[in-house]
Amino acid sequence: MFKAFSDAFFIEIDEIKSSYYKLLLISFLPILSFTLLISIFYNGVAFNMPITVVDNDKSELSRKLLSNIEATSTINIKQTSFSTKEAIDLVKSSEVYGVVIIPPHFSRDILLKKQPKVTAMLNTQYILIGKILTGALVEAVAYSAAEVEFVEDLVTTQNTNLSQKAISPIGLQITPFFNTYKNYFLFLVSALLPSVWQIFIVITTIVSFGTLFKEKREQKFFAKDNITAKVLGKMFPYTVIYTILGALFLFYIYGTLAWKFEGSFALTIFAMFLTVVAYQVVALLFFITGFDYARALSLGAVYTAPAFAFLGVTFPIYNMNSFALLWRDLLPVAHYMEIQISQANYGANPFLEINRLLIIAAFWLLFIPVIMRFHSRLKA
Amino acid sequence: MRFLEVFIAEAKLIFSDFAIVLTIIGGVLFYSFLYPQPYASQSVSGLSVSFVDLDKSSVSREIAFKLNSTAQVTITRYDMSVRDAKEALVRGEIKAIIVIPQNFNRDLVLNTSPTVAVGADSSYFLVYGAVLEGAMKSILTQSASIKIGKLLISGEPISGAMDAYTPYSLQIINLFNRDNSYTQYVIPAVFIIILQQTLLIGLGILGGGINERLKRSESGHYENAAIWMMMSSRFIIFGTIFFTHMLFYFGFSFSTFDVTHIAAIPDLLNFGLAFITASIFFGIFLGSLFSSREMATPFILFSSLPLVFSVGFIWPVEAMPSFIVELSYLVPSTPAIQGFLRLNQMGAEFSSVISLYGILWLQALIYAILGYYFINKQRKKYVTN
Repeated sequence: MFKAFSDAFFIEIDEIKSSYYKLLLISFLPILSFTLLISIFYNGVAFNMPITVVDNDKSELSRKLLSNIEATSTINIKQTSFSTKEAIDLVKSSEVYGVVIIPPHFSRDILLKKQPKVTAMLNTQYILIGKILTGALVEAVAYSAAEVEFVEDLVTTQNTNLSQKAISPIGLQITPFFNTYKNYFLFLVSALLPSVWQIFIVITTIVSFGTLFKEKREQKFFAKDNITAKVLGKMFPYTVIYTILGALFLFYIYGTLAWKFEGSFALTIFAMFLTVVAYQVVALLFFITGFDYARALSLGAVYTAPAFAFLGVTFPIYNMNSFALLWRDLLPVAHYMEIQISQANYGANPFLEINRLLIIAAFWLLFIPVIMRFHSRLKA
Repeated sequence: MRFLEVFIAEAKLIFSDFAIVLTIIGGVLFYSFLYPQPYASQSVSGLSVSFVDLDKSSVSREIAFKLNSTAQVTITRYDMSVRDAKEALVRGEIKAIIVIPQNFNRDLVLNTSPTVAVGADSSYFLVYGAVLEGAMKSILTQSASIKIGKLLISGEPISGAMDAYTPYSLQIINLFNRDNSYTQYVIPAVFIIILQQTLLIGLGILGGGINERLKRSESGHYENAAIWMMMSSRFIIFGTIFFTHMLFYFGFSFSTFDVTHIAAIPDLLNFGLAFITASIFFGIFLGSLFSSREMATPFILFSSLPLVFSVGFIWPVEAMPSFIVELSYLVPSTPAIQGFLRLNQMGAEFSSVISLYGILWLQALIYAILGYYFINKQRKKYVTN
């Protein structure tokens, strides 16, 4: 039993050593994909987002407001437009993400206490970009308005202390639990890397078994001894490699960058191990549909490619419909991701994770039909 | 060989391959159904929060009422301490905690500007954003009504008091995708990626498969048919299938999932033709490089997520390293998504996408030449005559 396992294990290791393709699949390609995604979001915060402005007042107050907007790191006033139409055309052609319009008689209306409205038209087709811009503009305008109000109050009350208080009766203190808001690196990258990782696990498993059958070496390889042990032995090198790769990206995010890992690293890595095996078993399930290499790959692609959207990290699961939730349940990485978030961010008690670990482990049960199919196939 | 013979031989190779048919027909249809599912409710609402009222005054109850009346949050727990609330948050029962401090009402009267604390789970950014939006909305309106009350007491006339709470204000207009629909945000871009990737996988399996047969010296039309005939056959077959898919996506799927489609039809078809042509020749070129039929799927699959995120519709290109942005223009999906979004989602004129349109045709030309070159090279390597 153990001999069959270790034979299969070492044969696979030799095959990896002699195949550029398999070597690429376990080293260069996953690392390249991780690196690309990490570099896209590396800045973590958005800055210098171009907008245009239409200043219909051209007064000292309007210039002051615009310079306060320009002073934010988020926004860059790329140009000045002469009309709203011209500005909107710039937004439509994606030259800028939005336009800030200062109404005519802005300065005069402020003095007359007519409360003029500054208008911002934003390209909210890009939701995240729209939200970041909205936040920065609200802050800049509120700050500028408060400056004006402060001066007005100062003139009437002659009391600096009171006038400051009068601006807002209720203060609002916002605490983001678990990671610094506005840093999108952690949000997206910590979920994107597992999404790419599961694709590699499924694909590599199919490549490993697919080449064996395609090259018609399967009868020789299994040679009628312990088929179960040989299947496991052939899978095992990748179980180890992908668990290590997973641990590496986790260590990269939480070990080398500024974010703190609140919970148990070991437990999370154990969850990764369960997830790797779960995906290997699912990959074999695709493979036994016909022992056809290319077909299994197509099925694996359909299954793994959309996973990111179902993790709930971008769009929350609370607002997903029941079909989406069902599909999500069929993805081990979705359950893994819950563990990663609750361990990394909440530092939750490990006992709270038992359910989730059991769900991932339940995918292992699919190994039973897989091995039955292997038996019947190899005896035929 | 006559053109018709080559065409039939190519069609046979394509339609007798289960993996190709599964990808270019089954995959495309399945994805059009699956991808929009998570976003079916379109926006984030009704998130559970805990209200920790340490003041128990009429003002704090008013704030609770205002919070409950926002679409974003619903108070599902009233905790006696921040600790209890935080435990519920770790268990996943709630997503945020709103704390009204002790002596809140008294401090308001004393004008010492007490602070409402909002703590939200920032592990999920849309959740965090929605909680913040709901909390800010309700607390700012509460704050404004208190201010108006004070101004009235100090003798301002009601009209003045109503208007005077800030010297000027900001009005935000959402130009496109007005109600911040998530479907509207993701689907138009992701559908283009799906069309491209399934097309590339199909052509990749085909090209890799032919290279494999050449290597095994299996005889077939690919040994001696004119290369331009093979390429045009693939163009006609894949062009027909994917142009139909594109019409199905933009027409049927977009209407089903309530996605805006405001482009003028001729503009859309014209731009779509450029996109599909560029993708087909890119696929023919990639296919000529793969040494087996199984190589296409992995390589094209791995590129999907980096491609989606380098387009700039999720994360601004200004914040990305420029080499990634520049590299992404080698692939049809980047100019295509930008162009389609402008035409179909933002209602831009065709003239504003003309450079993207040009890039797509340029890609088509370059990849057609490269494809021709590499198909010829593979053939020379293996066919001896």
